[in-house]
Amino acid sequence: MNRVGTVIYLLIRTAFRGMRSSGVTSLAAVATIAVTLVLVGAFALLVGNMSGMLERIGQDLQVTAYLEPDLRMEEARLIAARLATVEGVHRVSLVSPEEAMLRFRETAGAAAMLEGLDSNPLPTSIEISLLAEHRTEMGVSVVKQALEGLPGIAEIAQGQEWIGGYTRAAALVRFIAVGLGAVLAISALMIVANTIRLALYSRSDELEILSLVGASRTFVRVPFLLEGTLQGMAGGLLAVLLLYIAFELFAPQIQFGLSFFLGSAKPRFFELSELISLVLGGAILGAIGSAAALLGWRGNSG
Amino acid sequence: MTLREPTGEGSNDDAPVRMYHVSKSYSAGTFALHDVSLELKRGEFVFLTGSSGAGKTTLLKHLFAAERPSEGQILVLGRNISRLEGAAIPFLRRRIGVVFQDFKLLQNRTLEENVGMSLDVLGTPRRETRNRTFQVLKQVGLHHRRFHHPLSLSGGEQQRVAIARALVNQPEILLADEPTGNLDPDLTLEIMDLIVDSATRGTTVIVATHDMPLVERYGKRVVRLEGGRVVEDAPASGRAA
Repeated sequence: MNRVGTVIYLLIRTAFRGMRSSGVTSLAAVATIAVTLVLVGAFALLVGNMSGMLERIGQDLQVTAYLEPDLRMEEARLIAARLATVEGVHRVSLVSPEEAMLRFRETAGAAAMLEGLDSNPLPTSIEISLLAEHRTEMGVSVVKQALEGLPGIAEIAQGQEWIGGYTRAAALVRFIAVGLGAVLAISALMIVANTIRLALYSRSDELEILSLVGASRTFVRVPFLLEGTLQGMAGGLLAVLLLYIAFELFAPQIQFGLSFFLGSAKPRFFELSELISLVLGGAILGAIGSAAALLGWRGNSG
Repeated sequence: MTLREPTGEGSNDDAPVRMYHVSKSYSAGTFALHDVSLELKRGEFVFLTGSSGAGKTTLLKHLFAAERPSEGQILVLGRNISRLEGAAIPFLRRRIGVVFQDFKLLQNRTLEENVGMSLDVLGTPRRETRNRTFQVLKQVGLHHRRFHHPLSLSGGEQQRVAIARALVNQPEILLADEPTGNLDPDLTLEIMDLIVDSATRGTTVIVATHDMPLVERYGKRVVRLEGGRVVEDAPASGRAA
C-alpha cells in the first residue's frame, strides 16, 4: 500500500473507531437523520402519488355542454365549430341523443331505468377535451366562460369539480413537506453537529497527541467529516428500510381507500434513483453537520 | 554568550535551536519568558532547570510552536517560529519528539498503536510502521508487550513507551518536560539513560527538570531559569556518574 492508500486507510479506520467509541451519541445522530428522512420521504411519496393521480385524472378531464332540446343539429354543429377555436381546447365531439342513449344503455343497470320510457329524454351534448397543459382548473374555467357566452347552451358539466380542491390539497401537502423537511433537516444538522462536537471533546487527548506528533489539520479533521457522512448514510439506509416496510404494510389500505380515484392504479414506491438520492441526502446532512462542528472548533494546532 | 542575529529561514547549519532575546507575556507587565537567548548545537544535551513557574515548560512550548514569542526570534531547525504559518507547524513537529511528565498515551490503544501514531501521520506504510515500532520498542525493552495497553504497564514502562513514540521518527530534536517527575529513583535513571542515549546519536535534547541531583549526576550543560530569565548557563562538565 502506498502512502496515499495508507493515509486513506488510516482516516477510514479512525472514523470507524470514533463511531465505536461514541456509540450512543452516534446512534442518536443516525436515528435523528433516519426520522428526518422517513418524514421527508413519506411526504415525498404522498406528493408523488397525488401528482401521479392528478396526471391520470387529467387525461380524462373534459367539459360537457348540454344543449337546449329544441336546438337543431346544424346549430349544434355551428356551436361545436366555434368551441373548437377556444384556447386550450384539444377536441370537440358532438354527441347526438341517440348516441348518448346507446352509451347509457351500456352502463350497468341502465336497462331497468329505461323501462317504460316512450321517448329519448337525453339531450344533444358537446364534449370538449383539453390540451394537456390546459387540464387545470384555470383551463376548465376558460372553456366554461366561452360556453356561457353562447346561445343554445342549457347546462355545463365539468364532471370532476373536486379537482380544484384536490390540486390545492396537493400543493398544500407539497408546501408542508418542504417546510417540515427544512425544519427537520436543520434539527438533524444541529444534532449531527453536536454529536461530532461531543466526539471532538471526548477525544481531545487523542487530538492533542496527533497534533504533537505532527498530524496535519486534514489528517485530524477528515475522520470526523467521514464519521458524520457515514452516520448520515446509515440514517438514510435506515429511513429507506423503514419507508419500505411502512409502504408494504399500508399500501393495500391506501389503495383500497383511494380506489374510487385511482381505479386499478397502484400507489407507487420510490424508484432506485430516488432511493439513492434519499441515502445521499442523509450523507450530505451528516457531512454538513460535521463541517459545522469542525468550523467552530479551533483544535490545538498551536 | 555571543549570538548572531537571525539571517532568515531555511538555514539549519549546526544549531538546530536558536533563541534571540525572546520574551513571552500573557498580560501587560508580567513575563513568562524575559529576554531569553540560547543556542543549542546538533547532538547537544541540555538540562533546563528552575523552580516551578520559572518558565521551563513555556520555553519548551515555544520550541514546538505551541506558543509564539511576544518579542524576539526563535529559529528551530531553520524555521522562524514567529513567522511560521499554521499549516507549516505539523511539518516542523514531525522533526521534533516531545515527552511529557504525564506520558500522554492513549489507554484504548496498544503500545504498537501508540508508538505508531508518529509514523501514521506521515502515511508510512503499515509494514514499515510495524517494523520500526518493533525496533524502537525493543530499544526501550518493551517489544514483547507491544500488543498490551498502557494501563497494564507501570509508570516507568509507560514513560518508556512515550519515549519510544518520540524517537520512532528519528527526530532531530527531543524535548522532555519533567520526564521523570512521576517516577521513583530507579526508574528515573533508566528513563534518563534512554534520553541521554538518543543525544549520542545526533539528536539535540532538552530536558526540563527541577531534580537537581539528577542534573548533577549527568554533568551536562545546564540552563537555569528564574522568573522567565536565564540566570545561569553552565557548560557540560563532562563528568557523568
